[in-house]
Amino acid sequence: MAVLEIKNFTFSYPQALRPALNDINLSVEKGEFIGITGPTGAGKTTLACCLNGIIPHFQGGEATGRIFLHGLSIFNKSTAQISRLVGSVFQDPEAQIISSEVEQELAFGLENLGFPPGEMEKRISEALELTGISDLRYRSTIALSGGQKQRVAIACALAMRPEILLLDEPTSELDPVGTEEVFQILGRLNREQGITVLVIEQKTEQLAAHAGRILVVNEGALVMDGEPWQVFARQKELQAIGVRIPQVTRLAGMLGGSDKYSLPLTVEQARIYIERLVRS
Amino acid sequence: MTAARQNLIKVENLTYQYNGEQPVLKNISLEIDRGECLAVIGQNGSGKTTLVKHFNGLLKPSSGHVYINGLETGPLKVSTLARTVGYVFQNPDHQIFHDTVGKEVAFGLKNLRLPTEEIEHRVTDALEAVGLTGHYLTYPFNLSKGQRQRVALASVLAMHTEVIVLDEPTTGQDYRESAQIMDMVKKLHEQGHTIIFITHDMSLVARYADRTVVLCEGQILADGPVRTVFARPELLAKSYLSPPQITLLAQGLGKHAIPPDVISVREMYDLLLKARADKIGCCC
Repeated sequence: MAVLEIKNFTFSYPQALRPALNDINLSVEKGEFIGITGPTGAGKTTLACCLNGIIPHFQGGEATGRIFLHGLSIFNKSTAQISRLVGSVFQDPEAQIISSEVEQELAFGLENLGFPPGEMEKRISEALELTGISDLRYRSTIALSGGQKQRVAIACALAMRPEILLLDEPTSELDPVGTEEVFQILGRLNREQGITVLVIEQKTEQLAAHAGRILVVNEGALVMDGEPWQVFARQKELQAIGVRIPQVTRLAGMLGGSDKYSLPLTVEQARIYIERLVRS
Repeated sequence: MTAARQNLIKVENLTYQYNGEQPVLKNISLEIDRGECLAVIGQNGSGKTTLVKHFNGLLKPSSGHVYINGLETGPLKVSTLARTVGYVFQNPDHQIFHDTVGKEVAFGLKNLRLPTEEIEHRVTDALEAVGLTGHYLTYPFNLSKGQRQRVALASVLAMHTEVIVLDEPTTGQDYRESAQIMDMVKKLHEQGHTIIFITHDMSLVARYADRTVVLCEGQILADGPVRTVFARPELLAKSYLSPPQITLLAQGLGKHAIPPDVISVREMYDLLLKARADKIGCCC
């Protein structure tokens, strides 16, 4: 059974002239690592808000179609129920972190759900370990670097032991190393814990390297859905939409690459591919 | 006495610390000439923003000196320096406070006490330059973040300052918006403005800057032409940076006579075609 299923979903904000999301159909299996990209204003964040219950629970507007989490309609679940299934991490960790100490920050969501202290302790330690920040447990949240803050935000989401981790441009404020840190953690959680990852991201080089599937959203519609090479093979369309193509994949495209074997997605793949090309 | 040719910006042994804490900038010296397009790069917390805030006097050195057009910034007011150095903040929402785009862009000009006609003229031009013609009466917070970033840029453009400093102008922008903003910056550079921008996006550095300064823990780790700096990945790694993908690829293909300082996809493509042609030539 799909962990997440969206059927003919259309959503309009109050007083909007056209829908923010238009007839979206999507099925996500447990354990997938999905990258979602597209220009600003395309509807990516709206889509994320539909998956974690912010829409329709906290935001007005009109929705048609259906969204299922574990086969149950999201509209019949409370946000507290949804939060156990879908952990959300946003663009700006500052907007999300409210406690002065890392441990308190992780405890916050668990306290709200009424977990006993022993269980909280177990989950906090586990989440800190999974994100590689056990040493930050008693640190002040103010003194953390951007990458560390974002890892705290991910740890908070993980402490709820969600099935799905949903991240909305989690690296936009981060330097290249902080960005790679976040993606390494996501990759590990996905591989080792089987957590389904849905990440909205402009940095397509990271998506190409880490995601197993990429969705492109444009003007409220899901316009591409496939393996990274399938999506990045459509270079003219991507350029027209305004999606950045990883430099090495673009180079391969210019050299005539058009399939899985001739469209490298990382520098290392590209090196091997070019060496073969030069030798032949 | 003949005045030596002045640097537009001269930084001498600059050290800066916030309230007696560890220094954020440690003994920095740097000269920037008229007409340069300089990218300041480095990891989060390396001191990039702290450095550029010295160029318009938002910060004053704890020790050392900063000169703009030969004048030391120490005793100068920000409002005086603002006539020479325009500053676009990383987060446009830290900058925008008026209820219409037009008023926002006119604000600095009113402070300069320019005649109304001149203000109108400059606001219209600046909005046109950033692609926001027709938004004169728009409430800024009804615009997208990318558009607000361009409002902030227009406010600075309208001041006609010699130097324009941009702190991460493309953060949170999509690919097309980033290109729009940077193409605009490029145009300003071509018109003679001196540009200093901070970014984490190495492909923008490769595409738009002539020179780059790498900061690491408050010190200058490297300073030179973009190509030269990117050709030294081990140095960049010290500041937790890495060159663009295409440069990394070139560096992995050294044994195929690809130079380590390739900085664009087009350049790499041409090199590979040439390598192929040479090879075919030799085999015939």
